[in-house]
Amino acid sequence: MRGNTPMLRTAVLIVTVAALAMPGSARGASPETAPVRLRVGTTVDLDSDNPFAASAGNDWSVATTQYDMLLKFANEDLTPAPSLGTGCESSSDYMTWTCTLREGVKWSDGEPLTAADVAFSYRFVIDHKIPQYKSYFPFDPVFETPNDTTLIWKAKEPTFAPSMPPWVYIVPEHIWADDVGKELKEIRAVPNTPAVVSGPFMMTSWTHGQGWSFERNPNYWGEQPHIDGVDYRLYSNQEAMIQALKNGEIDIADGLEPGLIASLGDSSNITIQKVVSDWWLNLAFNFGGQPGSDYEPLPALHDLDVRKAIMMAIDKQAIVDKVYQGTATTGDTIIRPASAYWHLDIPADEEYPFDPVAANKLLDDGGYLDTDDDGIREDPANGLPLHLVMPASSDTTGAVGAGELIVGFLAKIGISVDLKPATDGKMNDYWGAGSFDAYIWYWSGDPDPNYQLFVFTSEQCGAWEDGCWKNEKFDALYEEQHSIMDPAERLAVVQEAQRIAYFDIPGIALAYPGWLEAYRNDRFEGWIGAPGENGYILPTYNYDSLISVRPVTGSAGSSGKSSSLPGWIWIVAVVAVGGGVFLITRRGRRKEMDEA
Amino acid sequence: MGARRYVVKKVTHALATVLFILSFNFLLFRIMPGDPVGILVRSDRLTPAQVDELRTDLGLNLPLPRQYLHYVGQTVTGSLGESLRNSRPVSTMIFERLGPTALLVGLGTIFASLFGVLIGIKGGWNRGSRFDTSSQLGSLVLYAVPEGWLGMLLLLFFSGVLGWFPAGGFETGGLTGMSRVVDVLDHLFLPLLTLTLGYVGQYSIVMRSSMIDTTHEEYVMSARAKGVPERMVRRNHVVPNAFLPTFTLIFLSFGFVLGGAVVIETIFSWPGLGLLTYDSIGSLDYPVIQGVFLLGSLAVIVANLFADMTYGYLDPRIRET
Repeated sequence: MRGNTPMLRTAVLIVTVAALAMPGSARGASPETAPVRLRVGTTVDLDSDNPFAASAGNDWSVATTQYDMLLKFANEDLTPAPSLGTGCESSSDYMTWTCTLREGVKWSDGEPLTAADVAFSYRFVIDHKIPQYKSYFPFDPVFETPNDTTLIWKAKEPTFAPSMPPWVYIVPEHIWADDVGKELKEIRAVPNTPAVVSGPFMMTSWTHGQGWSFERNPNYWGEQPHIDGVDYRLYSNQEAMIQALKNGEIDIADGLEPGLIASLGDSSNITIQKVVSDWWLNLAFNFGGQPGSDYEPLPALHDLDVRKAIMMAIDKQAIVDKVYQGTATTGDTIIRPASAYWHLDIPADEEYPFDPVAANKLLDDGGYLDTDDDGIREDPANGLPLHLVMPASSDTTGAVGAGELIVGFLAKIGISVDLKPATDGKMNDYWGAGSFDAYIWYWSGDPDPNYQLFVFTSEQCGAWEDGCWKNEKFDALYEEQHSIMDPAERLAVVQEAQRIAYFDIPGIALAYPGWLEAYRNDRFEGWIGAPGENGYILPTYNYDSLISVRPVTGSAGSSGKSSSLPGWIWIVAVVAVGGGVFLITRRGRRKEMDEA
Repeated sequence: MGARRYVVKKVTHALATVLFILSFNFLLFRIMPGDPVGILVRSDRLTPAQVDELRTDLGLNLPLPRQYLHYVGQTVTGSLGESLRNSRPVSTMIFERLGPTALLVGLGTIFASLFGVLIGIKGGWNRGSRFDTSSQLGSLVLYAVPEGWLGMLLLLFFSGVLGWFPAGGFETGGLTGMSRVVDVLDHLFLPLLTLTLGYVGQYSIVMRSSMIDTTHEEYVMSARAKGVPERMVRRNHVVPNAFLPTFTLIFLSFGFVLGGAVVIETIFSWPGLGLLTYDSIGSLDYPVIQGVFLLGSLAVIVANLFADMTYGYLDPRIRET
């Protein structure tokens, strides 16, 4: 042991000197000429960089940042607006649409972007039955490109599909032509980084499990962005992401949990963007009849008065306040407010009020009395207690929390609830087997209401309409809106369908939760929301915000260092480790020598 | 003769364990609730027919025994399959994560065992001294503290309050050379500290009690009776014998290195195997979970086997029995 002492000292010395030398070299790098980069924190990993394999949150944001659609969603209300195409005109029978493209648009590799690329992208989706996009092309359309800037869309029946607009990214034919005819699985596996794109940024690197980066597209056709690149950093938990925002490692955090807003404290340099979200929290009732299911949901749910009583017993505002900490709005119809143009806001005086007393009376009047005095009402028709088996998705923010409140609300009107928190995987089991009386999950959809109405139609029992609600009037309105080409006329029908779904209560839209984005207002400014001021400021419906965002005057943007770690910490750490070893061994030895 | 039998016995045990792990690994994840395709369905808007197709594609609608045979066959030929989530080869995904995990858990185990053993030797030798009582208390506290909680505290304080260290991740990106090394070290510091503090306690406790046991052995007494200086008694007679149990523990821990440190990696967004495990469990990505678990189990078995072998070398008594 004795012989080790000088060696140990030398080792400590070497490590210390190395530690001293390293920070000097690293931190000496000058950030002055560094490009301006926006750093985004997220807790959702990227699954695919391939637009045909996009499925979860950030897959879409990557595609939206890189690619254009023929028409984009307008910032104000998500209605169709010019993008690669300047507009689409229909023939009087709405079976032929002529879309005009901008001239001189180029792909990021310098190749021209023409109507042929648009037709190719649409055909690619249709021919390969790409599930996410194929429903945008009803009535077997064919596409013609008489010249580089004209796309003609011919459908076999009248349609407004071209103007919805189809949420389909236009990809370069000269890159993707090689993949024509491949199996869907192979197409989904095509790697796409770096990509050839038409949008303002192109993804240039993706380190799995850590993050991904975009650089500016030198050939972008629109207004040039103020930033040179965007870096997404992946955090595996919300707390870490919030700390990173506070200490300046990132400039904006995407998707904060409402419960953690408080931990941002009163930081004046952090602004929270409470986005009118594109999803809603839904309590669905089960009316039974799913193909292959032998579960018999509570028969009383077929009685509208029972559903009304449940609706009136639920304090939606309490869900908003307690579960979403005020970062949501109370729900009403099945087209959420993010679809600003189509959403029907039920007037306050027509809404079902929160009124447990009236709810109790409704049940009393219907003969649902607590005959055995156990606090639970019984159905007069069959004597069954009003008891609901209610799974709630633990993967949906707030679903279980809302469920817990609802258990209490319904207890007050003599209805008992067996709340079963379940992962989305397990929820799918319930949904597939139809083995529930009610459940809490979320719904989301396109800005256009067609899809959202579609999932509530009778024929969707066993597919999308989990609770098998059937309403002929609603079905008829769905069909009718499908064939109305004039948006204003269609709006009236769409709103009537929402009204029917609201008053017939296939389920209860509990809340429209917000999506929370928090950014450092001392670093970047000029964000644009979509839809509207309270919309998403990170690419969701379009990439406009990334074009307009710029460093705050006088700030270096994000080109500075990532954390203000003093170099001496490492020295202290190394000295502590070395010193600790040294002291433990040395003091022991001294004592032994004394003993000896 | 004895030695060969010992080796053969240990290797056979190890192989049997591997076979058991392989089967257990397969079954465990199939009795978990939920359905991996179900998760894809909601986000991908597939029709029931397409869902069925996807299930066939992924081999999920085959009867379990056939899935099992397929899995074993595939694993034996060295393929771990593809991720259900993004179709990437599982082996590639695991390979990407090996470096960060080896760096964090490897260094952490080295530091923790080094300090733990030294503290244990000193405490056990000077039983009842001030150092012993305080280090034992410290070890017990560190051993008892959940590493996740400790990590979260360190993160909130050093990253949130002081802003000295990054809040997570492996590196800032875009850096090269020495700057990159320093940047990675910056990111490594807090998880490494957490891991070291979290594991130092167990080593010191085991080493200490082993030291105390050994000091009462007759051969130690006779060494002392012969007048061997205390320093020599400790170095030549006590420490080598007391070290044996700790040695196994350290080796086992190195086996666990490949499993990653799930909790710590998750708290610090450290892109290692532990975080991969956490993420793939969340998305029911069977092939990935199976791959990571298999690798982790194999590493432990191999490390254990190696410890057993070396043990036999270090302690001839074991070979003889």
